[in-house]
Amino acid sequence: MRMLKLAEEILDKIPKVEYADVRIVDQENEDIATKDGIVEALASGHSLGYNVRVLHHEVWGFAASNDFSAKGIDATIKKAMEIANSSAKYKTTDVALDSQKSITASYKTPIKEDPFKVPLEEKIDLLLKADQAQKVSPKIVISQSTYQANKERKYFVSSNGSKIDQEIIWTGVGIEASAVSGAEFQNRSYPNSFRGQNQTQGFELVRELELEKHGGRVAKEAVDLLSADLCPSGEFDLILDGNQLALQIHESCGHAVELDRALGYEASYAGTSFLTPEKLFNFQYGSPIVNLTADATIPHGLGTFGYDDEGTKAQRTYLVKKGIFQDYITSRETSVELQKINPKYKKNSNGTVRASSWSRLPMIRMTNINLEPGGEEGTGKGWKLKDLIADTKYGIFMSTNRSWSIDDKRYNFQFGTEIGWEIKNGKLGRMLKNPTYQGITPQFWNSCDAICGRPEWTVWGTPNCGKGQPSQVMYTGHGASPARFRKVKIGVVNW
Amino acid sequence: MQGEKNLKQIADKVLKFSTAEETEVLLFVGNNSLTRFANNQIHQNVAWHDLGISIRIVNDKKIGVASTNAFDDESLKKLVDKAIELAKLQKPDKYFISLPDKNKIPKVKNIIYDAKEDELARGVYTVIKKAKINKLTASGAYANDNSEMAVANSRGVWAYHAGSSCNLSTIILGKSSSGFAADVARKVKGVDAEKVANIAIKKTLDSTEPQDIDPGEYEVILEPQAVSEMLAFFQWYGPNARIYHEQASCLSGQMGKQVFGENITIIDDPFHPDIFPMPFDYEGQPKKKLTIVQNGILKNIAYDSYYANIYKKKNTGHALPAPNTMGPIPLHLYIKPGNKTRKDMIKSVKRGLLVTRLWYVRVLNPKTLNVTGMTRDGTFLIENGKIVKPVKNLRFNQSIPKALNNVVSIENKLTRLASFEGELVNLMPTLHIKKWQFSSGTLF
Repeated sequence: MRMLKLAEEILDKIPKVEYADVRIVDQENEDIATKDGIVEALASGHSLGYNVRVLHHEVWGFAASNDFSAKGIDATIKKAMEIANSSAKYKTTDVALDSQKSITASYKTPIKEDPFKVPLEEKIDLLLKADQAQKVSPKIVISQSTYQANKERKYFVSSNGSKIDQEIIWTGVGIEASAVSGAEFQNRSYPNSFRGQNQTQGFELVRELELEKHGGRVAKEAVDLLSADLCPSGEFDLILDGNQLALQIHESCGHAVELDRALGYEASYAGTSFLTPEKLFNFQYGSPIVNLTADATIPHGLGTFGYDDEGTKAQRTYLVKKGIFQDYITSRETSVELQKINPKYKKNSNGTVRASSWSRLPMIRMTNINLEPGGEEGTGKGWKLKDLIADTKYGIFMSTNRSWSIDDKRYNFQFGTEIGWEIKNGKLGRMLKNPTYQGITPQFWNSCDAICGRPEWTVWGTPNCGKGQPSQVMYTGHGASPARFRKVKIGVVNW
Repeated sequence: MQGEKNLKQIADKVLKFSTAEETEVLLFVGNNSLTRFANNQIHQNVAWHDLGISIRIVNDKKIGVASTNAFDDESLKKLVDKAIELAKLQKPDKYFISLPDKNKIPKVKNIIYDAKEDELARGVYTVIKKAKINKLTASGAYANDNSEMAVANSRGVWAYHAGSSCNLSTIILGKSSSGFAADVARKVKGVDAEKVANIAIKKTLDSTEPQDIDPGEYEVILEPQAVSEMLAFFQWYGPNARIYHEQASCLSGQMGKQVFGENITIIDDPFHPDIFPMPFDYEGQPKKKLTIVQNGILKNIAYDSYYANIYKKKNTGHALPAPNTMGPIPLHLYIKPGNKTRKDMIKSVKRGLLVTRLWYVRVLNPKTLNVTGMTRDGTFLIENGKIVKPVKNLRFNQSIPKALNNVVSIENKLTRLASFEGELVNLMPTLHIKKWQFSSGTLF
């Protein structure tokens, strides 16, 4: 393995320090976007580089480069050492890492059909057909389809003796129809908004989703929304479709359980978290049927991998069990810090550290943060969506995210969805436009009284999670099935 | 740094490798370092260097784009072949006419400043020291970005620019409050770390123990950072030729009409003396000052070569890198200053809120430009012209066009604000807005 050997050679050049690791990252991507029957983007990208991370004088130094010449490697190592030396002058605490055994391993995303080997003509044809299928009315002013495929080869070596190579492949695809009438603008997407569905799958994902088949339906819904009634305002029962619940989990649980945030390390940018360490093991985050996990091992999850970027094996961790806050997503450094703050906490890193590219410092990132489906141990009855609707006297069913916003401690959130339907006496009724809902995170999750079961549970991909300075956009996953929340503040916006 | 000569050699080589009808080369170089701090200590200290190339190939109106960061001849030839292969598989874009021709690029001074690790750490330490004296906790980042960008195409375009920025931002945390401040300059010596610390500390102390306040409609004084955060989405969804002509912009069909209050003039000026100038866009076309809204009347929107060709308009030099699915965006917007000091603006408020920053602003509807978001890092109640107490943060749901039709007064000066990364800075005044809709509160 040439690259792994090169990474070892770089590691060998690093002067004696407490700890060091080297990552070489080779990223390849392909993007296609159509708009109104035209291929608006057809692009292929490639980026290769490496980074050196040293723990020296108990502080970190990090430098990255795409210059693989001997001179370039020496300069990068020197820079990382200089940075550590400079930081050491001002340090107030020492960085400590959890214990980690040496690992030699390989991991490859299991896929059926390599997306990079599917002929481009076929991909373009598929997207243009899906684009064309949306042209069901002159009111459709924009029809779009998007496709992306990514291949990331990572080679990690550390002074612990670890040697890990991984190949992560993920694919994403979706369509979006926009309709306009006067001042009214509405859009509908399939299978999800903001670049569709994304999973660690190959081209089989694209084939399964049958975009063309859904083009006409989503376009018709966008047109129908133009004349639909406005979502009513008030406190009503709310059923969220899985694709919306996925983002709800992302924002109000996923970010809130990032230990670096909770410890204040993200305060200067994305904020902190209301889930402070003293709440561990005792805080009622949600109702007793709410079980949230971080699971980097589930098939197809966009946050699924073999090992994180510190060499820790992918894991499944309960974050919230039977409604009680149980754990954070952690790193080798922050897990040690948490053990000092809360002596009841005894765990090492649960393996969630990733970097968005070779040029970025690895940091805690969501893996697949999931709401466990109903009908399984401790999750209550496993509902079917149709039964859940039948069980609701009055409420709103909302699907597919349109907007999202949450405060910097992850308490107050507001989401808007593309579409809603009124539920009256257990039946789905009129279509509603501009649905929105607001809440305070723990109150909201404590109002959850029903979750649909495994057959309606999907791992949705969120490929655009932003965090950190410099900014890092990461791909994360969220398993969710439709769920009901009682007496939620709905329709708060004065349109 | 690579320098203009080196980049020109690479661009010429790639243009020679290409057998396509038209070829565009975009080169970008980054030499960056960033020192990040939290809990009164440096916790991330990083540096990275990259040189990248993206090429756009055109054959029979069929376009392919490919990029890499490998620069040996074999890799560059492969890159050209890849883009040609992509273009071959494309469908012709009937709206595409050609890559743009060579046009005279305004001269601006290229300033590069490579900060030493210790310089950034010293600035950070100044903030931490002051926070500690006040028994507060400092967090933030001090970034030094050095970038070079060059564009060449087979129709003779060559454009090169190099620039640097030093950007210090901090959020100071108290037990019940927080405060934000930032400063940006070309060189470290232009960044006033003491001032940054003092402003953020004052905000934090002033907003200690914020009180509950009912949501509803309030008069607001939005400080420059908040105005910038509000206008960010106007920038993307407003005067953007793609969205405008799709009828999806709040400005669509309003050319020459009154869209905002008569006191609102919005200008895109990449050469304003208080910002870091940018002489050309990502197609190597010259940038120029563009008045978007004058005294409330929509005068111009932003075009790149593609949309200028389609709609028979002049290219205003607002292209983003190919393939651009966002449309042309004005990146140097400011609101023309008014005639009031911030103090006088506060004095004129009977009952309202002073807002330091907005946070997590997102568009609910691009057509009406209704946005939602939170206040952050210092929100205060004003009564009878005086700040009377700090209040807990609130969520707003507000139409930006409605807000810009309700501006009572505009500050008489502009404040320079940095984006979180890179060379981009913008200028904003404080705004006094008559009506602003807050829909709920949070717990801090």
